[in-house]
Amino acid sequence: MPDRILLIEDDQELGAQIVDNLRKAGFDPTWWRAGRHIEPQQLPGLALVILDLMLPTTYGMDILKELRASGAEVPVLVLSARNDTADKVRALKLGADDYMTKPFWPEELIERVRARMRRPTLQRGDALEVGKLRLDLATRGTHVDGAVVELTRVEFDLLSALARRPGVAVTRGWLVEHVLDPDREGNERTLDVHVSRLRKKLGVAVKVETVWGIGYRLGTEAA
Amino acid sequence: MRLRARLVIATVGVTVPMVVLLMWLDGRARHRAAAYALSEGTLRRLQNPDERARCEAAPATWGRPRRPFAAAGSTAGDGPGPDGTVRDRRPGGHRPPMPFPIGAPPVNYAYDEQLISVNPAAPRLAMADDVRTLEVGAVHVVPRAWYGDDVDVVVRTPWGSGPCAFVLTHGTTTPGFIGALLPASPIWLLPLAAVLIAILIAVGPVVARIRRLTVAVNRSAAHGFADAIPAEGTDEVAELARAFDAAGREVRAQLATKDQREQTLRDFLANTTHDVMIPLTVLQSHLATLREAHAAGAAPDPLVLTAAMAEAHYIGALLHNLAVAAKLDAGEPGMLKSPVDLNALVARVVSRHAPIARQRAIALEHAVPEHPLTAQADVTMLEQAVSNVVYNAIRHNRTGGHVALILEPQADERFRVRVIDDGPGIPPQQLERVAQRGQRGDAARSRAPDGQGLGLDIAHRVARLHGHQLTFAASEFGGLQVDLEGPTASETDPGPDADRDPDPVPAGNPSPPS
Ligand SMILES: Nc1ncnc2c1ncn2[C@@H]1O[C@H](COP(=O)(O)OP(=O)(O)OP(=O)(O)O)[C@@H](O)[C@H]1O
Ligand SMILES: [Mg+2]
Repeated sequence: MPDRILLIEDDQELGAQIVDNLRKAGFDPTWWRAGRHIEPQQLPGLALVILDLMLPTTYGMDILKELRASGAEVPVLVLSARNDTADKVRALKLGADDYMTKPFWPEELIERVRARMRRPTLQRGDALEVGKLRLDLATRGTHVDGAVVELTRVEFDLLSALARRPGVAVTRGWLVEHVLDPDREGNERTLDVHVSRLRKKLGVAVKVETVWGIGYRLGTEAA
Repeated sequence: MRLRARLVIATVGVTVPMVVLLMWLDGRARHRAAAYALSEGTLRRLQNPDERARCEAAPATWGRPRRPFAAAGSTAGDGPGPDGTVRDRRPGGHRPPMPFPIGAPPVNYAYDEQLISVNPAAPRLAMADDVRTLEVGAVHVVPRAWYGDDVDVVVRTPWGSGPCAFVLTHGTTTPGFIGALLPASPIWLLPLAAVLIAILIAVGPVVARIRRLTVAVNRSAAHGFADAIPAEGTDEVAELARAFDAAGREVRAQLATKDQREQTLRDFLANTTHDVMIPLTVLQSHLATLREAHAAGAAPDPLVLTAAMAEAHYIGALLHNLAVAAKLDAGEPGMLKSPVDLNALVARVVSRHAPIARQRAIALEHAVPEHPLTAQADVTMLEQAVSNVVYNAIRHNRTGGHVALILEPQADERFRVRVIDDGPGIPPQQLERVAQRGQRGDAARSRAPDGQGLGLDIAHRVARLHGHQLTFAASEFGGLQVDLEGPTASETDPGPDADRDPDPVPAGNPSPPS
């Protein structure tokens, strides 16, 4: 079932385009062309509110304030044409989760909407699961597609560090400092050697991607 | 009240009491002198033994002036009047008339021990007790009003008994214009007049100069304080004029600053319009090309499409830059600092430019620490500064290039935002010039690729305003490496981001909570 998104935007053209883009991206948008307060019975099932601050009837800030006062925790992404610090600070203070300034590309909006709705990684007790990869942090056991993979201490630490933040690039520097054994003079070269060994052991099902200029990242495509 | 009226009132108020006091002192002094002279004269006369005989022989008539006074313009009268004084009644008329009234010679009246006089003209003595206890040869001055010219002294005769036990001598103070009240001649008016004249002489020009100053100030004000206010002399009025002149200069300077600011604003508006018009024209041209291709039944040229998108993106960035430039021109007051989630900021910058980077097949990667970093900053300014550096790395890069944006914590509670690319970079000799941008006040805006852009200028100025360090170097990948470093805000700093969101995922950052 697609995520329901409430869009409150008074501009006809922009509103229609956003609705269109959200629909194409697989969301289920509802569009309010005028500002009005969000009633509690409208909240269930709502995954996100996109709120334009420059609404003519009810000032966007009031809608936000009202919404948070009613105790609703639905994420709110604020749109503002005025790239004004005071507005942003105020919106965040009133409980907005993020804001976007116009102009923006449709892709940008979709990316931001997705980022707001991204679920945290599944971590049940001591287990980390990313796609086909399963890491047991307590026993330090690694499974890919259900099969056991034998990893060295460093390899396991490296993989779990990446798996804690799947899809996110982690710098070489951080990995060298936090994963490699400081006694054994770990440097970025050593790190790269560990990574290539790790990649061989994991096969194609789990991707440890090289990120240009940064380091490595655990691919989430398979997830 | 006008200055003149004030002065006149003040002068009169001071001089009149002074004149009154002086006249009172003068009157008293003359009374005293007259009383002394009268008593001396009478006592000397009574020393003469014949006088006793003469008095006791005819106490009713004794005591009339024996001879006319030569001194003080006194002259013989034909006896005291019923009130005991003798006024100017020269029966003989053999003396030339005096130009002003004169006093009378002293007259004596004899009294017995019971203070009863047989002289019908003798005044009744009221202060009987004081007199009766007088020693032989002692004098009692009958109190009189200080402004009257009568002086009476009572003397106990040396023998002190008989019908001439006491002698009352009546006289006057030195005769004058109106008795004892005023000095004999109106000469006393002279200092008064002199004082008034002196005041007028001293104050007159001052008043005139103050009037001139008023006129000058009014004239200067009417011309927007463009005229100087003349200040001649060294006194207070000149000082006032100089103060007015200084105030005028200050007003002039402020007006000039305001005019300058208005001019800057007008220029800014004109430049802004110009700056936006160019990419807009380019964009229109791209769109027209696409339209033509469509009309000819051809597929839209992806290069033109990309260029059109890049142009639209550029217009957006330019407008944001112009808005920030306007705030930067306002200096500190244009800035609104709050705790800024740098992870979220990086995510916003990346997502802003990602679509354009994708269009040019440039990989835009980013890394943020697991725990969000926070810095005290104006979020709009800081975001624009980072955005400009990232946008440069994309825009001045080659197709298929790479850009990485890395936010990392540093030692001593500092953060570092590093932007690296593998584009052409900036040659070392130009690097210094680029690093020096933002030192100049006026940002010459042009899209000419000669390092005169607005983007880095704003990045520099924002960094300076926040106390951040912006450094440029060649990146290890051949392109440019730009570092922005600054202090992080302390964790305890309650910001607008604090306790607002139960969702621990930072904005735009897909990392799980740690
Ligand atoms: N990452 C980079 N790689 C190569 N050259 C760069 C890079 N960043 C900046 N430059 C050079 O420095 C110049 C100044 O950059 P700046 O951002 O100030 O202006 P601009 O990008 O030309 O124009 P704009 O005002 O639109 O930003 C650029 O014109 C470019 O020549
Ligand atoms: Mg630039």
